[in-house]
Amino acid sequence: MKQIHYDKLQETLYHEVMDNGLQVYVLPKPAFKKTYATFATKYGSVDNHFKVAGGEETTVPDGIAHFLEHKMFEEPEGDIFATFASNGASANAFTSFDQTVYLFSATENIETNLTTLVDFVQRPYFTDENVEKEKGIIGQEINMYADNPDWRVYFGLIEAMYAKHPVHIDIAGTIESIATITKETLYTCYNSFYHPSNMLLFVVGGVDPEQVFELIRNNQAAKSYEKQGEITRIFEEEPVQVAEKHQESRLAVSMPKCLFGFKEKVEGLTGEAAVRRDLITKLMLDLLLGSSTALYQKLYDEELISDSFGHEFNSSPQYAFSAIGGDTKDPGLLLERIKEEINAVLESGFAEKDFERARKKKIGGYLRMLNSPESIAHEFTRYQFRGGDLFEVLPIYESITLDEVNTRLHDHVDWEQLAVSLVVSP
Amino acid sequence: MTNNGFQHGNAAGMRIHVLPTKAFKTFAISLYAGVPLDESTVTSTALAPFVLRRGTATYPETTQFRERLEELYGAGFGFDIYKRGDYQIVQFRMDTINDSFVQSKESLLGESFAFLGEVLTRPLLENGSFRASYVATERETVRKKLEAIVNDKIRYAAERCIEEMCRQEPYRLHPLGQRADLDGITPENLYESYTAWLNGAILDLYVVGDTTPEEVEKLVIRHFGRAHKQSESYTSNFKPVTVQEVRTVEEKLDVNQGKLNMGLRTSITYKDDRYASALMYNGILGGYPHSKLFVNVREKESLAYYASSRYDGHKGIGTIQSGIETQNYGKAVDIIRKQLDELKAGNISDLELSQTKAMIRNLLSEIQDSAFELISFDFNRQLSGKDRSAQELLAEVDGIGAEEVKAAADTFQLDTIYFLTGKGE
Repeated sequence: MKQIHYDKLQETLYHEVMDNGLQVYVLPKPAFKKTYATFATKYGSVDNHFKVAGGEETTVPDGIAHFLEHKMFEEPEGDIFATFASNGASANAFTSFDQTVYLFSATENIETNLTTLVDFVQRPYFTDENVEKEKGIIGQEINMYADNPDWRVYFGLIEAMYAKHPVHIDIAGTIESIATITKETLYTCYNSFYHPSNMLLFVVGGVDPEQVFELIRNNQAAKSYEKQGEITRIFEEEPVQVAEKHQESRLAVSMPKCLFGFKEKVEGLTGEAAVRRDLITKLMLDLLLGSSTALYQKLYDEELISDSFGHEFNSSPQYAFSAIGGDTKDPGLLLERIKEEINAVLESGFAEKDFERARKKKIGGYLRMLNSPESIAHEFTRYQFRGGDLFEVLPIYESITLDEVNTRLHDHVDWEQLAVSLVVSP
Repeated sequence: MTNNGFQHGNAAGMRIHVLPTKAFKTFAISLYAGVPLDESTVTSTALAPFVLRRGTATYPETTQFRERLEELYGAGFGFDIYKRGDYQIVQFRMDTINDSFVQSKESLLGESFAFLGEVLTRPLLENGSFRASYVATERETVRKKLEAIVNDKIRYAAERCIEEMCRQEPYRLHPLGQRADLDGITPENLYESYTAWLNGAILDLYVVGDTTPEEVEKLVIRHFGRAHKQSESYTSNFKPVTVQEVRTVEEKLDVNQGKLNMGLRTSITYKDDRYASALMYNGILGGYPHSKLFVNVREKESLAYYASSRYDGHKGIGTIQSGIETQNYGKAVDIIRKQLDELKAGNISDLELSQTKAMIRNLLSEIQDSAFELISFDFNRQLSGKDRSAQELLAEVDGIGAEEVKAAADTFQLDTIYFLTGKGE
């Protein structure tokens, strides 16, 4: 058991790698009643074409990582939710582009619940019948998202940007793609990506670290895993330019939704370099478009944007893009005005005092996030899978310079790389 | 979790509730202002906080206002407007990091109070009323928000169901007000209604963090100094409704998935001694993934991705929501009604009871870990007049058996079935 103390944050993290390769982290929060645990695999919707050392190259149906997540909850003796409920735990799971996360939160029976979490994820049970049954449920989930304009406009943007990279494929797949999923394809994905060496367990709350490690050590030692070779994820080459400049979908909305962003040329960044690039980019976007900027206030007073106007930056070693926008009565005019205003900032650059204020805001936001066990677990795992460390963010924020932010602005804003996605009423 | 740990007092006409704790890296502040939900004031009450967030005497321009929050290490500031029983509540929130984590020259708690006090009591005034451009823009903002409800079909269907069920009561009103009223609002009459609102509202101020009641009291007197008359208490004029006939409402919109919502009436409210049985009833019916609705509508029949129920103890209503293929409407209604009947018949297993108790226990215990959850729980007590700690509620839940749940089921009567369906049908 390794202990890492973060003095400024007043937090101590404990870490151990199990013999089978499973990474286990524990963050004790003695003042907290609840324990929150996530068990994550570095496997998400983009991992649809892969090869495990010694195995065959495989392509699997769209939406299968998410389908697998649903199916893990079924055990020979029934639904695992019932077992969690008997022990007072609230359980859930989610699938993103690059990870699948199983979780629970509970205030009692922590050891039992941890065992349940680890065991159910390490015990797949797929039958022809239960796979078919799930298609109806996920079909309704897909339909629900199809009616959600925010989801539509977001995926529309990624579809406009990416021609080849599977990030443009909806995480749940389509009714047609999930129709082809069988228990065999599920087992193939399970066996490739749910090996302990591809997974991370994070426990935060009122727990004793040594007790948790002891429990997990014994639990893992009782299961036999053969050593697994490296997983190679295969991605077709993605063109630098956007696939389409403009994408439009139709849904009943009170006002058009307009989301736009810049697709970046990627350089395969990982580890601290990637974390630093992400933090700088997010700081830069906030300085450019945040709700305290002159640009934001002008567009708000012109009634071109509303409180829904926001921005984000999403990246992996193979993709990096911003998504900016919200509801607007006139997407064309909004884009025209945004371009004028952003070009003016490109000329002037950011001011030192604005930069210092934005940095303070980011540091405050980061510290506030550390109140939430859920956020800590999710963010920590996300950073770890990228080779970064969530608890080393503060020194990075403190070392960012205005020059770096101004340089990032010029690198990111390239009008040739702009894509726009709209949702408008039929 | 013994008694919720808040120390209660009064200052500047407000009730003050302070929970001193070192458990969080922040100070959490909530100010609740409640007025009776009323057609004549609902819109101006909703609009006022939008105008207040645009500028104050010290920070007249919105960019200055927001820059100030950023200087306070990105202090969180926001407000929510919602209904609780027959009251319209405006809740202002601030969330500021504890100074000990940063090298701050100012006391962040003190500065947060200064800010919140200013927002509420010293708005930007021009010629004795609000700045006209702020009122005009925020009127449009509220209008857009009201119009945008339809974008989220799940929320739209839930709100429409309540609106239909409570069409004869103030509760039909949307907490953001009525679109038709917006045009008649001017800077002058809005300023008048803001003044009346501030003088008439029931005010509760909460602080959770590393502080003391004495410190908070001083800050309140300094920054909310304007003399308010002493806040009154919330009162309830709840009258149980007897349902004569289940009413079905169908609405057509361009949707892929149908939204099936139901509204139920119960005589049990938050302050009722049977409150714990109503919580258990809702938990067994549809509060969790082990509940009857999830198991029967989703797991057994694959009809839906979500199927759940909620219970609102301040209004004495229950709601059910699910998203289904439109052609499965009849089947889904039958299955859901069958679950309601099962509960009325007392078909409740020991396992359902013990699982639901464990889940409610978890929910109530988890409140401890979130400053704003602690605040919301204690505010229920101000709202209902019922003094019952989480611990006491837990003990009550623990004592509930199938008989009590069955008795609670008898008070839940289906009132309205609302179905949002596609236009293509």
